[in-house]
Amino acid sequence: MIIPLLGLLAGIAVGILMPYNIPFAYSKYMAVAILACMDSVFGGLAASLQGKFDMRIFISGFFGNALLAAGLAYIGDRLGADIYMAAIFAFGNRLFLNFAIIRRYLLNKYLKKDNI
Amino acid sequence: MKNRGIQITIALICMVLGMMLAVQFKSIETINSAGVGKLRAEELQFALNAEKEKLKNALSALAEMEKKLEEYHDAASKNDRIAAIMQEDLERAKMLAGLTTVQGEGIIVKLDDSKLRNNQEEVNENYFIIHDSDILLVINELRASDAEAISLNDERVIATSQIRCAGPVLSINDTTTSAPFNIKAIGDAAKLESGLRMRGGVVDALQQWGIEVTISREARLVIPKYNGVITHKYAYPVKEEVVSQ
Repeated sequence: MIIPLLGLLAGIAVGILMPYNIPFAYSKYMAVAILACMDSVFGGLAASLQGKFDMRIFISGFFGNALLAAGLAYIGDRLGADIYMAAIFAFGNRLFLNFAIIRRYLLNKYLKKDNI
Repeated sequence: MKNRGIQITIALICMVLGMMLAVQFKSIETINSAGVGKLRAEELQFALNAEKEKLKNALSALAEMEKKLEEYHDAASKNDRIAAIMQEDLERAKMLAGLTTVQGEGIIVKLDDSKLRNNQEEVNENYFIIHDSDILLVINELRASDAEAISLNDERVIATSQIRCAGPVLSINDTTTSAPFNIKAIGDAAKLESGLRMRGGVVDALQQWGIEVTISREARLVIPKYNGVITHKYAYPVKEEVVSQ
């Protein structure tokens, strides 16, 4: 669990040092994309903990979900409907589910209890 | 934890995620620190334009008002008697319209029906009494002689006065009056009298039928004001450009 956290911190450091800013018009898409990415990361962690990790699924899910979420937000803006809400609900829901899996795994592992 | 490769992969992806998060944080921070979101920029621009337009209108109105005020000030500084002048104009207009009692030099014309007897059957009896046309002739002649105010039996003759026979009596200003008729006129007494007494003039014509005409010059005559209400429903002033069409 340490290496991914280090990676996250490193990424945050790089992002802070980067001189680029997201234009306000695109910040909503970026937010939705970030949500999708978080979902993928949590999913990847959960899968790795369960031993079901697949590199291709993880990578494709990460970028694919981010792009799809941002794309949905964009289309929704063009159509005048808040379609990005669909992405937020879907990824938010899955985020909690994945977090639940991680939580139970960690609890079982460190507390040496078998109840799921 | 079993596979270091998986950990590295997740770490890399987490790095990308961290970058995205940091950049997004920074962007949102910048936007928020700018005060108002750019989302409202268009709305604010619209409001700004509206306010600018309002300001422009208000300024032009102000300039107009200031100009007017300046004109008033100019007039006031030049002559502090605007009200007095306006009052003077009003008085003059009222006098010309016959709405004030006036006095001055003039003549009194007394007209009375003929005392002659109509001996001839074929001559109309009407020739021996005074008619509206006789009065009108007299008044017309007085006006031609520059009478400034005229009354008939103390009814002021104004621009809208009617003089007409109403049966055995005479109607003027919607009131009835009868012979003898006292016609008062203010003006140059000598001119008024000579106008009436002109050879072949009004007095000659009336006296032909025995109608009694007596003219007396007065140094001071008082002619009452018109007591009715002058109404107008149809006549309104026109502007210059309309007239010139």
